[in-house]
Amino acid sequence: MAEYIRFEHICKNFGEKKVLKDIDLGIEKGELVTLLGPSGCGKSTLLRILSGLEDATSGKVYLDGKDITNVAPQNRDIGMVFQHYSLFPNMNVRQNVAFGLKKKGIAKDEIREAVDRMIDIVGLSENADQYPSQLSGGQQQRAALARALVTKPKVLLLDEPLSAIDALLRHSLQVEIRRIQKELNITAVFVTHDQEEAMVMSDRINLMHDGKIEQSARPIDLYTNPQSKFAATFIGHYNVLATEKFVSIMTGQRPVGKDLSRSQTIAFRPEIIGISKSAPANVPADVYLLKGKVSMSLPHGNFLRYNISCGQTQIDVDTLFNRDKLYEDGAEVYLQIPAESCILF
Amino acid sequence: MKKRKGLSTVFIVIVLIWLLVPLLVSLIYSLFENWAGIVPKGFTLQAYASVLTDPQFGKALLDTVLICIVPILLTNVIVLLALFVVTAYFPRLEKYVQIICMVPYTVQGVILSVSILSLYVGGKGFFASRVVMLTGAYCIIILPYVYQGIRNSMRSVNMPMLLDAAQMLGCSRIEAFFKVVVPNIMSGIIVSSLLAVGIIFGDYVLIRNLAGSTVTNLQMYLYQVMKADSRKSSATFILIMLVMFLITTVVLVLKAKNDKGKKER
Repeated sequence: MAEYIRFEHICKNFGEKKVLKDIDLGIEKGELVTLLGPSGCGKSTLLRILSGLEDATSGKVYLDGKDITNVAPQNRDIGMVFQHYSLFPNMNVRQNVAFGLKKKGIAKDEIREAVDRMIDIVGLSENADQYPSQLSGGQQQRAALARALVTKPKVLLLDEPLSAIDALLRHSLQVEIRRIQKELNITAVFVTHDQEEAMVMSDRINLMHDGKIEQSARPIDLYTNPQSKFAATFIGHYNVLATEKFVSIMTGQRPVGKDLSRSQTIAFRPEIIGISKSAPANVPADVYLLKGKVSMSLPHGNFLRYNISCGQTQIDVDTLFNRDKLYEDGAEVYLQIPAESCILF
Repeated sequence: MKKRKGLSTVFIVIVLIWLLVPLLVSLIYSLFENWAGIVPKGFTLQAYASVLTDPQFGKALLDTVLICIVPILLTNVIVLLALFVVTAYFPRLEKYVQIICMVPYTVQGVILSVSILSLYVGGKGFFASRVVMLTGAYCIIILPYVYQGIRNSMRSVNMPMLLDAAQMLGCSRIEAFFKVVVPNIMSGIIVSSLLAVGIIFGDYVLIRNLAGSTVTNLQMYLYQVMKADSRKSSATFILIMLVMFLITTVVLVLKAKNDKGKKER
């Protein structure tokens, strides 16, 4: 499929600081793509360059085959939802949503119809005449979403729109935004620092680090196959250890299949680790065996995270919550780590 | 909690008495012909009739209102545009704009008027006009109040984000400022303008020095009346307060309308 949005060699400097370093990225039509990364990695800047609110120091931006690098934001036909509620305080929901359409000079009847339909899609029909200060955070962001979508933009940009909303509402809004994006089949670029949010919402995640795209992949591929130490650390709560240290805490025979001596770092996810109180009678040939003590257990609802001390090394192990199979703090345990699930860097 | 509420009520009552006593005494003084000890006698509205039928009062009132409107409008427009440019394009320059706008706080009326006269008097053209000089002087005097009011309102509405949001909906930056930001800071503009009205209404020094022969404001009229008739001057004072009260009421009604919908749930 042809690329709908294309960033070509985008660089951005703020004074001496290089915020974006030669970004090359393509986004297909109808995709919801996430720019994920820690604060200061350049994800919002890249989004603002696409919106036109920020100029790139060098490089080009293409939308639908046209070079929009020097096009003013108001002429790009892009909708945007901001991190902080950006509704106009002196207008009610209906007036806010109608603002962009009025600006386009559309007939009043058409505006009324489009606004009502969009307010209905975002589930704010009962709040249409309320002012922003009379709405909850979630309602305000839904109104902002309606306002951005009603003009039928080519691309929808979402700059951490859920970061100021409480957890419960955030989860329902994630699903709702995804539903609306699919329903309208709109191309969307979503910025977040929350990897779980990125996993839930995206067709593709672009993991950013230090002004560069660290890895671009489908959520499941990024989760199961991080390509760098940073990706492993940022995604999926991987245990990331120096191979030398890992070898020093291994018990029993070394499994065949993986040559640890050629890599510096080993990473494995907490949920692939098997845990037992007694030493397993037969350890499969492709499994690493470690021995340690439970130093802490952290309930996470449906799963438990054990923090296991193997000498000076801490390893996190996730197990599904089972009342009959709990490990006390201080208990000696054995950990089995399938070699094929380990990633070497 | 109750104790604190009681204390604040007492404090408010004391302040109200402090503010209202001079007004009340002036009102009583203007309404009675003579006194039996401390009891007023001989109720009459003659002082008010005399002021209200005096063409000089009407002219002074009209002059005061007119000389208020131009500097306030001009200063508001200048400050709005300056703050737009600074916030939207050169945020680092804001501190310098603030310093410039705050300087007139330290300038006394006499010094300002003498400086303006020494610079422009004797010249020819637009700036040599006494009314223009006075308008300029008032713009300078009210600048800190107007600037502070508008700046505080802008901060409360997160102007950069509103500009970005409006731009993404099809507005140019300047259009976004006037269509979205200005309506949202109208309440601050109204309040600072009201403050400016109070300052210009109360001015005697600037108008006396700069345009005494051309323009007579209410303060100058009051000063003239004080020399001739104390009862009439009390009535004038009460009428000035009444005009201010009316202006304040109209402005606050406008502000209340503007604030509609911004109240917290």
